[in-house]
Amino acid sequence: MRIIAVTACPTGIAHTYMAAARLETVAKNFGHDIKVETQGAMGIENKLTDSDIRQAQVAIFAVDIEIEERERFNGVNIIQVPLQEALKNPEGIFRKLQH
Amino acid sequence: MSADLSSTSLEFVFTCPLSAGMHARPASHFAKLANSFVSESTLTNLRNQREGNAKSVLSIISLDIREGDRCLVQIHGADEEFGYTALHDFAEQLLPTVDVPLAQSLPLNSSVPRILQHTAVKCYSGSAASPGIGRGKVVFLNSVALPQAAVAHHRSDPREELERLERAIRKVRENIREELARSGSQPTRDVLQAELALIDDVVFAQKLAEHVNQEKSAAQSVIETGNFFSDLLRHSDSAYIRERAADVEEISAQLLAEISGETLPKAATALREPAVVVAETLAPQQFLALDRRFLKGIVLEYSGAYSHALILARSYGVPAVVGIKHTNSLLSTGQEVVLDANRGLLFPEVSPEVERFYAREERTRLRQKAILQASASGPAITRDRITLEVGANASADGEVVLAFENGADGIGLFRTEMLFMNGRPPSEEEQLAVYERVLKSAKGKTVIIRTFDLGGDKAAPYLELPVEENPFLGLRGVRLYAEHRDLLQVQLRAILRASAFGRVQVMVPMVSGLEDILAFKEQLKKAKEDLRAQDIAFCQDVSIGIMLEVPAAAFNLRQFATEVDFFSIGTNDLAQYFFAADRGNPNVSKVSNPSNPSFIRFLSHIIEEVRAAGKWIGVCGDMASHDKYVPLFVGLGLDEISLPLEHIPKIKGTVRRLSAAACRSLVDQILLSDNASAVDDLLASAEQTCSSSPLASEELMMLESDSNSKEEVIQEFIDLLYNSGRTSDPQTLEDALWARESVYSTGLGFGFATPHCKTDAINASSIVVLKLSAPIDWGSVDGAGVRMVIGIAMRATQNGDSHMQVFSVLARKLMMEDFRTRLLQTPNPPELMRYLTQELKLTLT
Repeated sequence: MRIIAVTACPTGIAHTYMAAARLETVAKNFGHDIKVETQGAMGIENKLTDSDIRQAQVAIFAVDIEIEERERFNGVNIIQVPLQEALKNPEGIFRKLQH
Repeated sequence: MSADLSSTSLEFVFTCPLSAGMHARPASHFAKLANSFVSESTLTNLRNQREGNAKSVLSIISLDIREGDRCLVQIHGADEEFGYTALHDFAEQLLPTVDVPLAQSLPLNSSVPRILQHTAVKCYSGSAASPGIGRGKVVFLNSVALPQAAVAHHRSDPREELERLERAIRKVRENIREELARSGSQPTRDVLQAELALIDDVVFAQKLAEHVNQEKSAAQSVIETGNFFSDLLRHSDSAYIRERAADVEEISAQLLAEISGETLPKAATALREPAVVVAETLAPQQFLALDRRFLKGIVLEYSGAYSHALILARSYGVPAVVGIKHTNSLLSTGQEVVLDANRGLLFPEVSPEVERFYAREERTRLRQKAILQASASGPAITRDRITLEVGANASADGEVVLAFENGADGIGLFRTEMLFMNGRPPSEEEQLAVYERVLKSAKGKTVIIRTFDLGGDKAAPYLELPVEENPFLGLRGVRLYAEHRDLLQVQLRAILRASAFGRVQVMVPMVSGLEDILAFKEQLKKAKEDLRAQDIAFCQDVSIGIMLEVPAAAFNLRQFATEVDFFSIGTNDLAQYFFAADRGNPNVSKVSNPSNPSFIRFLSHIIEEVRAAGKWIGVCGDMASHDKYVPLFVGLGLDEISLPLEHIPKIKGTVRRLSAAACRSLVDQILLSDNASAVDDLLASAEQTCSSSPLASEELMMLESDSNSKEEVIQEFIDLLYNSGRTSDPQTLEDALWARESVYSTGLGFGFATPHCKTDAINASSIVVLKLSAPIDWGSVDGAGVRMVIGIAMRATQNGDSHMQVFSVLARKLMMEDFRTRLLQTPNPPELMRYLTQELKLTLT
């Protein structure tokens, strides 16, 4: 499956990047192809392009705050979870995708 | 001011320049002077039209004279002209200088430390009045109080009563004098002098005598007089003067005790074990009577910041908290308590939690001391290998010993005036003994001895200095040497003889022209010749230097450079003469701001000229003790700064974080600034632009932490940052960390937690590592206990995202099991530092 994701936490120092790393690892274990955009203290990094977004079957938003440039994702199938979920139980998120 | 000569008296008006108003000390100077002539003199506060006897301290302070009040002085009598001159000169010239900065009003109550908030410990809160932490058993002390009503002393013959009264006054005066003779500390002496002034007060004595003459007993007279004056003072608008009511009551109580033959409460309590003394109020004599070996703290129900007992407590380092009411019902005698006078808290029970908290605080304090001591030793070298010598200013040999213990690279200024102010000039042997001790404790490091700088505000009666309109612009320093060759010879011989014991250099004060230094060298030559003739050993080539404090000297530097070996800038006097603004005059204190770019351009000119001539230059004024000017001094290219010894470790730490190249660019910008506030802004930015602290450092790693709760970990996290000089606002840092924790726990599972925050309460972004001896609950996502804490404190405003880059790498790596395992297994800070440097690609500058 082609998956895109966005992570964003309140201070943008730590959890944004932890969640991104976690989602990348677990997605690989599930055999998915994933690209994660981080919205942290350094702004948007690893930005999802229009073509990334068009090709993705699903978008995971692991966020605690309103994300930047949300309009890019209009029409995309979005699963939004609190960021902590990506740390606590990332496998659960991916299992949900398979149903 | 106006001085008009009327037919009946001489009078003039002056404006009170004292920020705390006409309080006891200036009033006692005034009254002392008024008592030196026979003419009557009165003082009237033109604001409230109260009139008083200028010969009485009590009378003067009860006029409620505040800063800015206009006051009329009238002198009438046989020697009125003498009296007029004395009081007028005092009011115009000396009065502004007798003010001393008083403690500000007491800080507001602060809160219970977070670690203790969750425990059920009992705690009473007051105001912190003298810092420190003490533990001991409660000892109640009765306050000295005057009975409001008559006591049952039958009056006898008025003459007998008067005699009885006079005997008591003599005895109390004697007691105070004895105490005064015993005490060495200045604050204690000031307090006792103020008491002496009270007992000698003419109006107080008059009032007492009046009562006796009205057929009252001596005891009754004391009660009525004491209550009369204490009421008067208690209604003053000035907090400082209100406090003096307690002094009157104490003196009256002492008189009463002498009359009745009873003992005062002070004598009734002897401390035999560590004690926290609890009282409604405390009189200074009561404080002095307490055995300070066992006095661990003081709790007062009522007291202002200005009370003499608190002034004494602060000077002796006794912790004190005031404003805790109803202590009688809250505490009982012998109960063990902990007094936290940093926060204004009293813990009536020493629970294990309280005990642990304060034991940890003490440990942190000791660690901080050790870090400062480590920072004190060794030279202060910038990151780009430029050395700035950090010396100490001193006036006594004892201070010199402490200075070297505190890491002084030398003594940049040894003042000798104190030796000359004991009523007679010091002999050669007396001076030699002092200089010899100083040089021996310097153990080969340089000591710069400044020859006597008398005149100005430092008079020595035997010099018979003329009365000058402007003493600071008159005969001072080197200008006195021609008249007092004998004094100079004695001092030069003593210094030269001391040169056999170490590296001594001689510095001359108040030099303005070449002739000053030529005449001085002539005298030095004579002293050397005499010593040679007498076959006395000394160092043949003692260096000579000039203290730069007269602006004219700054334009003679090339000429001086051919005659002397070094220069040291005395910024206090140099600024006062440069700006034409008296540094003791609060009205113009803003004018002589050393941050003014004109002054810095002046300094830059001096330093460039001296360097061009290849000579050594330092700074020994007040400016050198301010951390904020260190980048300026480094950028200006000074060889040395010399400052009060207690600042040395911190200043050395600051130098080591700086880049001299960046400081030079900063100085270029400063020299182009328009005003002092622009300069201050640039200096404030130096923390970011000229200084750098590495993100990770061994001093931020604690791999054997015994913290046993999240609260203790956060406290330790903050302490590590505080002790390494990375925050000067631990409270804001703590709030920021807890604000983040309140969103959701930073426990990320796997036994790891990452508390973090983004705030300007931190000077330099930092990574803190704590490894805990036992797992603690952190509310982690997987419910597991936390064994390792990787904390991040990020500065909110900073240049570039390089630190953030590291943090994001760190956060991602923490998700990797290999990385976490390595962190847990790395046994010591140096290895951990190596591992993090490699994994996070840290730069170590």
